[in-house]
Amino acid sequence: MLKTFLIGIKDVRLAFRDRAALTFMLAAPFVLTLGLGLVTGRFSGNSGSGISDIPVAIVNLDDGQLGQALVDAFNSPELADLTEPTFPSDPEAARRLIDEDQAAAAVIIPAGFTQSIIPQASDFESAQPEVVQIEVYTNPERPTSAGIIKAIVDEFISRVEEGRVGGEVSILQMLVSGRITPEQAEDAGNAMSQRLQDEPMTNEAAITLNSSTADGQAVEFDALAYIAPGMALMFLMYTVSYGGRSILAERTQGTLPRLLVSPTSSAQILGGKIFGIFLTGAAQMLILIGASSLIFQLKWGDPLGVVVLVLAAVFGATGWGMFITATARTTAQVANVGSAMMLIFGALGGSFVSLEQMPVFVQAISKITPNAWALNGFTTLGLGGTLADLGTPITALLIMGASLFAVSVYLFGKKDLAQK
Amino acid sequence: MKKLFAIAWKDAVIRFSTIAELLFFIILPIIFTLIMAGGTPSGEGDPRIRLVVVDQAQTPVSQGILAELEKSTAVWPDVLSLKEAESQFDAREAAVVLILPAGLDLQAIQNGTAEADLRQQPNNLNATVAARAVQTALRRVGSAVNAANMAVKEAEASGTFESETDRQAYFNDALKLAQTAQAETPERVTVIEGATPDPTEYDPRANQSTGQMITWVFIPLFGISALFAYERQQGTLRRILTTPTTKATYLFGTIAGQVAVAMVQMTILVLFGIFVMKLGWGREPLALFVIMLASALAAASIGVTMGTFVKSEGQASGLSTMFGMVMALLGGCWYPLEMFPPVVQNLVKVLPTTWAMEGMLDLVLRGRGLIDILPEAGVLLGFAAVFFTVGVWRFRYE
Repeated sequence: MLKTFLIGIKDVRLAFRDRAALTFMLAAPFVLTLGLGLVTGRFSGNSGSGISDIPVAIVNLDDGQLGQALVDAFNSPELADLTEPTFPSDPEAARRLIDEDQAAAAVIIPAGFTQSIIPQASDFESAQPEVVQIEVYTNPERPTSAGIIKAIVDEFISRVEEGRVGGEVSILQMLVSGRITPEQAEDAGNAMSQRLQDEPMTNEAAITLNSSTADGQAVEFDALAYIAPGMALMFLMYTVSYGGRSILAERTQGTLPRLLVSPTSSAQILGGKIFGIFLTGAAQMLILIGASSLIFQLKWGDPLGVVVLVLAAVFGATGWGMFITATARTTAQVANVGSAMMLIFGALGGSFVSLEQMPVFVQAISKITPNAWALNGFTTLGLGGTLADLGTPITALLIMGASLFAVSVYLFGKKDLAQK
Repeated sequence: MKKLFAIAWKDAVIRFSTIAELLFFIILPIIFTLIMAGGTPSGEGDPRIRLVVVDQAQTPVSQGILAELEKSTAVWPDVLSLKEAESQFDAREAAVVLILPAGLDLQAIQNGTAEADLRQQPNNLNATVAARAVQTALRRVGSAVNAANMAVKEAEASGTFESETDRQAYFNDALKLAQTAQAETPERVTVIEGATPDPTEYDPRANQSTGQMITWVFIPLFGISALFAYERQQGTLRRILTTPTTKATYLFGTIAGQVAVAMVQMTILVLFGIFVMKLGWGREPLALFVIMLASALAAASIGVTMGTFVKSEGQASGLSTMFGMVMALLGGCWYPLEMFPPVVQNLVKVLPTTWAMEGMLDLVLRGRGLIDILPEAGVLLGFAAVFFTVGVWRFRYE
């Protein structure tokens, strides 16, 4: 047992003295987390959902209250983080901003927009007013942002329409029911308009929408709580293949036969090497977690849950490291396959793009990666979950690790570890 | 010329000495392009966000909400059972779930007790957009009832109803009128897509095809630094001192060889984009050649400069991968620059990856030509000149 422990500790020391390895184990995940934090706006104070301060050009040619109301909506505190409105002098200037990729969309409110919806007193006897449409001029290179601007305008219009239909129906129904005569319609309309100005109706929707986040709680989720573990887990795969390389390196460098000359069994040596990989991976993860907590003020969640999940994730990843080593012939093969697997598992496991956005078959394949299960667990913890909520990912990681260890030990047995 | 060719050939032989190099040269770039493009909607599929809906009400109102959601330009409703929906939501396979509970009917709306539940994953852009679309759909369905309620209130302002039955009848008639008025509502918003010099069909997969190509070409070109470290460790650089080869000739030969390999790699990835992903890479071959060459020269020159700083092959390999990934990330190769905060969008203009990405997107996405990509190509050649000069200045054989 002591020998196994000593071999493991020796390998941890070697790994942490290798500057090139440290670049991958610690610097790369840390720098990439920093980069992702920058591009998601985590360090500039937004929610981290990705899009903020969408530049939108607004031209209001309408001289009525509805045009101004839409302008006010874009200037409202509710949209302060989401949009960044500018007000070019005319529609051509606004469209030019889009064509030159200076804004995501232009909202052009034409003259007569209000009048086309709320007829003036003089229009009562005329036919239906001509439809005047708001123009949303979108930037095809910013489809997401332009879609959000369109959704904001749509929502505004739906509110306006609700008021228009309400007003029209109120007057029409009083006419139909004989409560007022056609001659009284204009006065009734003006009276209603006056009353609505004095006591505006609440603009609440008829159907209340109760919004909640996962677990029914209004939890603020730090985007970095997804990004940081994603990167740490990706480079954990490098660490386990690096450790695997050392097993083959000991054989090619001749240090393995020397060890075997001593009263140390091959099982103890293999156990020590695996223990070393496991310890190195755990240390890497815990250093990254500690550093991101201190430097980025990142809250990883329930500490006990974090520690158990880290150990389970490292166990699962070490299983893969062993499997690669057991199937490879040379250290170069382990290095190449390990690097490739690090990147592929990173992509499949959700380190770059959230799994929910992936096609169903990719989501299914991702289950073979420790990254996907562990990232799921870390997200649960980031959302306020505890160790008790981690049953599925931890079980999956342990089964993954145990299965891969069993296969690897069998393959090692067939290869004869001591053979040079 | 012969020397340049000999140096370039030697480097190519060293690089492809193992078959594993093919993994990074072509296999991984293709796998990554496919995986990452899988995360963005294809030009042929439904680009709208999937909104999981649980219809426990099964009433005309809930059917009306579903019909409104079908018409949405932002979401498409996927009706599932509560158990399926919760399972997908808990597994984070669904960004947002709308539950229309039992009892969601006209009566409930009239009484002001109608409610729907929306569960959304936190900090999820899709969930945010879907929530807005749901609000709009609910408002459209509920607005007829709101209008009828308003009509009743207005009628009450001018006199009372004789009985509750009269009041209800008045409400029902007003509701019918409101529904008719709503159905006849004209379109109040028109959407016009901005004009590009030569409009092309927007395809987000073009971003991934371009971004992954730049990522996987820049990383090995930065890896020229590892080539120097390897030769230095082997002592072969010292041997060149004994030959009449200048530093510039050696460095130029190294760059030329790696750039030629990068051009082959990019050509294969472009062909993959054209024939498998059906992207418009082939519109302006000359412009494409110019921007590819300028990008490769910029990356290779940075690799040369890095090679004068690093001490070992392992260190060079780690740093080139790390710098390559970080520059790709910040240059908009993995996620569109549109998603970045405005300040960061300006800051990343100091990176060659940003200019390479912009130049290539001009061609594959925006349908532009040689004249349009000259500024980007110029900046990239500027990077190449600066870093090559620094590389020659700092280069030591030992």
